[in-house]
This record gives sequence, structure tokens and C-alpha cells, in this order.
Amino acid sequence: MNTTSAVLTGAGLFKSYGMARALAGVDIDVTAGESLAVMGPSGSGKSTLLHCLAGIERPDSGEVLLDGKRIDQLREPARSELRRTAFGFVFQSGQLLPELPADENVALPLMLGGTARRAAVEQARQWFGPLGLQGMEDRRPGQLSGGQAQRVAIARALVGRPKVIFADEPTGALDQATGMEVIHLLTEVSRSHGAALVVVTHDANVARWCDRTVHVRDGRLAADRTAAEAGTDAKAGYRR
Amino acid sequence: MRPLDRTTWTLTWRLTRAGGRTGLLATGLAVAAAAVSTTLLLLCVAMNLGFQHRTDRTDWRNPVESSRPVAVQAMGTTFTRGEPVTVVDVAQLPGRTAPALPGLDRFPAPGELWVSPALGDLLDRLPADRHPVPGTPTGTLGRAALAHPGDLVAVIGHRATDPAVTAERAPDPRRIGDIASPTRVASFTGTPLTDGMGGMYTLLARLATVLVIVPLLVLAASAARLSVSRRDQRLAALRLIGATPGRIAGLTAAEALLTGTAGALLGAVGYGLLLPVAASLPLAGGAWYSADLWIGGLPLLAVMAGVVALVVSSALAGLRQVVVGPLGVARRSRSRGASVVRAVVFVAVVAVYGWVTREYGSADVVALFAFAAVFLALAVIGPWVVRMLGRIVTALAKRPATLLAGRRLLDDPKAAWRIVSGLTLAGFVAGFFALLTVDSAPPWGGRPDQLAIAAPAHKVGQTRTQAEQRLHAAGVSAVVGVDDGFVATSPYDSRQITATISGGTAELDRARTALTGLTPDQYPLTTTDVNWSENRFTQDFTTITRVVLVVTFTVAITSAGITAAANVLDRRRTYALLHLAGTPLRVLDTARSRETLIPLTVLAGGALATGLLCGGSMTLAGGDSSLDARGLTVLAVCCAVGVGGILAAGGLSRPLLRSVTRYAGVRGE
Repeated sequence: MNTTSAVLTGAGLFKSYGMARALAGVDIDVTAGESLAVMGPSGSGKSTLLHCLAGIERPDSGEVLLDGKRIDQLREPARSELRRTAFGFVFQSGQLLPELPADENVALPLMLGGTARRAAVEQARQWFGPLGLQGMEDRRPGQLSGGQAQRVAIARALVGRPKVIFADEPTGALDQATGMEVIHLLTEVSRSHGAALVVVTHDANVARWCDRTVHVRDGRLAADRTAAEAGTDAKAGYRR
Repeated sequence: MRPLDRTTWTLTWRLTRAGGRTGLLATGLAVAAAAVSTTLLLLCVAMNLGFQHRTDRTDWRNPVESSRPVAVQAMGTTFTRGEPVTVVDVAQLPGRTAPALPGLDRFPAPGELWVSPALGDLLDRLPADRHPVPGTPTGTLGRAALAHPGDLVAVIGHRATDPAVTAERAPDPRRIGDIASPTRVASFTGTPLTDGMGGMYTLLARLATVLVIVPLLVLAASAARLSVSRRDQRLAALRLIGATPGRIAGLTAAEALLTGTAGALLGAVGYGLLLPVAASLPLAGGAWYSADLWIGGLPLLAVMAGVVALVVSSALAGLRQVVVGPLGVARRSRSRGASVVRAVVFVAVVAVYGWVTREYGSADVVALFAFAAVFLALAVIGPWVVRMLGRIVTALAKRPATLLAGRRLLDDPKAAWRIVSGLTLAGFVAGFFALLTVDSAPPWGGRPDQLAIAAPAHKVGQTRTQAEQRLHAAGVSAVVGVDDGFVATSPYDSRQITATISGGTAELDRARTALTGLTPDQYPLTTTDVNWSENRFTQDFTTITRVVLVVTFTVAITSAGITAAANVLDRRRTYALLHLAGTPLRVLDTARSRETLIPLTVLAGGALATGLLCGGSMTLAGGDSSLDARGLTVLAVCCAVGVGGILAAGGLSRPLLRSVTRYAGVRGE
């Protein structure tokens, strides 16, 4: 584990829910611009790991460091602010506010950070072109396809220039082809903006797009391999 | 497959039982809301029927002239301790056989005195020199002759030649229902009074019912929606495994049917339990016979069925908006509109109300229907106003919370309306009652401690002397005089003999007893006695106003709380994901409260103004429309309670917001 160059580090993470142990001593780090896939069977603890790394939940013991500073000891308001300013999130579905048009959904984190509405919306709209969403700025989530909605979610995750993007089964509600498009976009855009990406997924096809894959089993990291080591780099052969 | 087949019922029962703590809470709230609605609706119906029963049983006192008479009947009203005592004088005509009077098993013989139980008790307690009617009671009048248990009534038997049933009595337009001149009658069925306070009470009861029913319907509907809100996930799961939309609708209808029926049954039990309490509420002169407030089996079943139907239809309407696809994702692509037609309908209904009250008068039943239509029209214009507000707020929003609130109002105006609808309707009630005043009738000269009795102009001196002698004999110290006042009236050219009594009510009653019979056509009375029915109505009006305001505001605030909770449950996943992504709870909460407070301020204000408008065109018991200190107090208290209530309702759902953002799963499954 190389904590000096890591943007995000989890060290000795333990977490239990009652008698059930979700994390049993996980050490993990992610460097800037790196994409990391977290795989594992249901109940292995991968989502708990994401929650602990993202400051959604506090580990029972261990440390979570962002740029070398502990964030697991912060109080909820501070962690909430951190999630808004330093992290971006892409979930499986339903994360967009149905009543807001797409551009305002993307602008929301900026507005929450104090940017004036007009400036926030202008800034948000700049993401629509690169993400293939031209002309959809005024559409509401209900008027978007699943893939388009996920792209809007990606734009929203990136608009605040986060250091780390957390994606929890981001292609889980999409068909295979759309899912591949979305994960490709997510890995590329986060890399090009220097953001680390942590993707929790069941899908080995999704993991193939990431620089590195870790396997979680029974709350422990079972394997940690780069795509080159695994020989599963999907980026090389992908054509949009 | 039928939507309500055995599988549906089995699944419904299983899902209801296995709903967890939140599920049980929502089901419990739905049942409770249906129960409260049923109980209050039944009590409203009971009050209306109760007034009708009372009126029916007092019709006999208002005699109808017959061409084939068997008896003579006259009526007068005297007073004791400030309370009216109805005295009915009857005599059988020679050679005829008169039927028994209501409440008696035979016609009273000359000299007999039959009294109501309440008057009998009073006569037992009072010394003879304060008895409002002379003589020793022969027996007790039955319930059939009485409006209510506390009714003070005496029936006196006479010979057909006695002055009490021969001397003409002057009908006094100020005292409708107090006096009936001797009338030759064939029976004692009587006739309803077409004027007077009885009609005012009926109108007030109907108004109160209209004002209470609509918020109650809102409460029952909002509770049904709460049940649906928490069901979307599991119904979506059922869709995923192949349940058809018909099955889903069947499950929803079945659960609503269960909760609605349970609520209606509990409500009926509540009505039964509250019947004695409601019966003890003194209105229009006294407490009620419980039987008068029992509405009967069929009406009871009809009200219960109505509540159940409302709960089921609300649940199905809510379902339509919650679960659309197997993945449980509401695929809404456009705003749920609220067309401008709603505004046009509202303005038209208010205009019709103004026209109806001018054309028919405010006491007419047509005006009542028009009034109810205005009340309902508020529910029509509400969503449109919310949508307009949404546009304005969205356009002006600078901060995220305001933008979220504005977009939400614009996107689903009906949802926002549902939260504030109860209080908007309550605002209308407050405005209506603030302006609607019942003026006490004007004083008719004289003094509260001065008895007056009209005497024929040519016998004034003689009557005055007799009055002095009677008072002296009774040991009452009084100043007797003669004037031309008009506290006492007569059908002939008369002057007024007055007796000013010092010593309070007891002495006044002794003087009254002494002077009773001085002239056979009337009882002595004070200026306060002339206005007794108006004064009583004013008191009852205040009581009913308070009850209606308390009920509407309580129901409205409860509805707001339930709907706010349902809205949090509806949007729990979005709230959870926004919170996980760093949106502070404070922002979510502020947005929630703005999307409530902004429409509430405008709509409740508008409804209040509409209420003032409606109160302005309505008059009751000779009252006029003016905003006095009482009205301002009503307005101020209602505004404070309304705003406080909605804040409390929002505050109570805050822990739920915290809970759903903490525990809701990140993923959709």
C-alpha cells in the first residue's frame, strides 16, 4: 500500500452490523486518476467498504484518509460537506431529482456549494457536450433513457471537480451495451479530470474497464490485481 | 383472474401483517384517520338529525286552526331564573272528545297541571311563591312532548270558557314560537315553525357539517395515500415477478378495504362511545336525548360505506402515481398539470354564490349548496394556485432549497396541495366565522330588573292597582308604574304596567309569579326575556363556531402531518441518495418546509379572504357582517394555530426524513 501518493486510503478497516462482520481488516488505497473496481459476491462487504471510504459510514476501527488527512473521525455535517465537495457519486438509478431538468440536476452540487444559480447552471451545461447529452439540458429525468440518466448522474458527480468518484453498481439498471458505454464514459472522464474512481460491481465486464480490481470476500481483500496483470484491459478493444 | 380473488386477499393479509414497524404505523394511521373521520361524520349527521327530531317533537305546540275542532289550544312563555318555560293551555270543546296530547296518555282535565320532568324537579326545589306556573303537578309529560331533557314545559287543562283559552293573545314578531293565541284544533300534531331560531339552528348545523366534512374527507384520503406510499417497493417487487397491474390494483384496493373497514368500524364504535358525551353538550337550551343523536342503522352503514369507498378510491388514485413499472421507478415525463380551467371554475362558483345569496337569501337551502360549492371549489383552484406559485418561486429561486421547493411545486402541484389543503379549508372556515357575527337583538327599552305587562288602555288604573296588591300580598318590594314602552305587547290598545324589582333573580321570579294571571293573555316579562332566543342562539353560535374551528384545525393539522410523512416516504430514495451525495439534511428540510409554507401562506390567505367574502354575504339571526374584536381574535388565533400546526406537522416528519436518509438502501432493489 502506497499511502504517500494515494488520494484515498483505507487502513485496517473493521465494520460490523450487530453480530455480522462486514469488514474484517481491509487495507486499500486509490491514487489520483486511477480507476478501481471492487468486486465480490453479495454480502461480501464491498458496499460497506465504499460507504466507509466515502464517509457515508464510520468504520468501527481503522482509518480513512483523504490526501493524508483522516476523514473517518469527522462529524456527520463535515463528512456531508466532504461528500459534496471532494467526492462524486453515481448510483444504480433514481439519484436524479425527477422534478428538476437535467441541467439543474447537474448544477445542484454547485449551488449547494454556494455558486449562484445562473453560474451553476452555465457551468453544468458545459458537461453536456462531452458526455453526449447535447440538447437534453431541459429534459427531466423521466424524459431520459436509462443510459442518458446515468450520463447526467456522471456529469453531476464530476461538476464539482471531485477528487474521488464513487460508483455503486452504476450499470446495474442498464442493458449490456448501454452499461458498457456508461462505464467507458465514466472511467474516461474521471481519468481525464484526474479524479480517482471507485466502482463497486458484480459485473466482470464492468471491472475490465478499470485500472485495478480488488476482490472482497468475507470482509477481507482477497485479491488485488491491475488490469494488465489480469490481462483483462477492456479499454484497448473498445470502440464506441 | 379477478382483482379481488382469494390470492389477493391472502397476499394482502400477509403483506399487511409483515409490514414491519413502519408498515404497521402507516396502517395504524390510516385506520385511525378513517376512524376519526367516520366518528366525526356520524356526529355531524347526528347533530343535523338531532335538531330535526327536536323540531319534530315541538311542532305540536304550534297549533293549526281546524274547521272541525275538538279542543282549544293556546301557548305562552314565561320565565324562571332567566330560563324560558313553555306553558300550553288546553281545553276540550263541549261535546267533543279530544285526543291525548303528545307525551300524555289522555287529554288533561280542567285544573290539571302536567309538567316536564325538568320543570317538575324545579317546582320541587323552588318555593311555591316562585313557581312559574300555578298549581300542583298532576303528572309528568313524556319525551314525545319535549325538545330535550331539560325542556321546561307545562300543560294546563282548562274549561273551554276559561280566559286562558279564550282571551286573544298578541303574536309578537320578536318572539316567534313563544306565543300562540287560543286556536281551535282537531289534533295536536301542530305545524313546524317556518321562522324563528329553530330554522337558524338547522342552518347552523348544516353549515357546520359542510365546514367539517370536507377537511374530514381530506384526512381520510391523506391517510389512504400514506399506506400506498410505503407499499410501492413491495408492489414493484410483485410486478417484477409477474403480478399484473390488475393484481396490484386488487392488492391496493384490498388493503384499503381492510384498513377503511377497520377504521369505519372503529369510527362507528367511537360514535357509539361518544354519543353520551355529545348528548351532554348543551345546545339550543339543553343537553340531548341520546336517542335523538342515534342516526339509525341504514344512515350509519351509508356513512361507513362512504368512508370506505373514499379510502379505497384515494388509495387507488395514489397507487396510479407511485408504481408504474416493475422496477418501481416512477417514469414521469411531464408535470402533473393543473389547468387554468380550475381558476375559471372557482371564480364562477364564487360569482354564483354571490348571486344566489342575493336572490334567495343566505338562509335558503340553495345558498347552503352554493356555500358548499365554494368550499369545494377551493379544492379545485388549489393545485392551480400551487402551480402558479411554483413558476414564480422557480423563476426567482437563487438558493438550492428554494429552487427544489419551486420545482417541486411546479412538478406536482397536487402533492403540495394535499399537504396544505386541510389548512386552506380551515382558513376558509376561520375567515367565514370571523366575519359572520350574530348580533344580539336590540334592547326594547325597559330594564332587566323590570317586569312589564300590557293592560288595556281603559283598564290601566285598575290593572296597576291589582298589580300593586298582588306584589304587596306576595311580600315583594317593587316600584310599579305605567309607561308607553313596548317590552310587553297586546292585540288591543294598551299601555304597559311596569314593576321594577330590587333583590335579584329570586325576587324577580317571586314578582313574576305574583303577576302571572294578572291579564289572561300574557305573562310578565323583562326586556331580557324578549331576546332570550337570540341571546341563546348567540351563545350556541359561539360554541358551535369553536367546536367547528377546533375540529377543522385539528383535522387539517393531522392531515398535513400525515401527508408530509407520506411525501417523505414517497421520495425516500431520492432523499437518501441526495444526502449520501452530500446534500445537507438542512437543505432538504428547508426545501420541504418552503414547498409547504409558501403555498400555505398564499392559499390559506386566499381561502381566508374567500371565507370573509362568503361570511360577508351571509346573515344569521339578524346578524350582520362586520369585523369586530371577536372576529379579529378568531383570525389571529386561527392564523397562529395554522402556522404553528403546519410547522409542527413538518417538524414531526423530520425524524422520518432523518430515518429514511440514514437507512434507505443506496440501490434500487
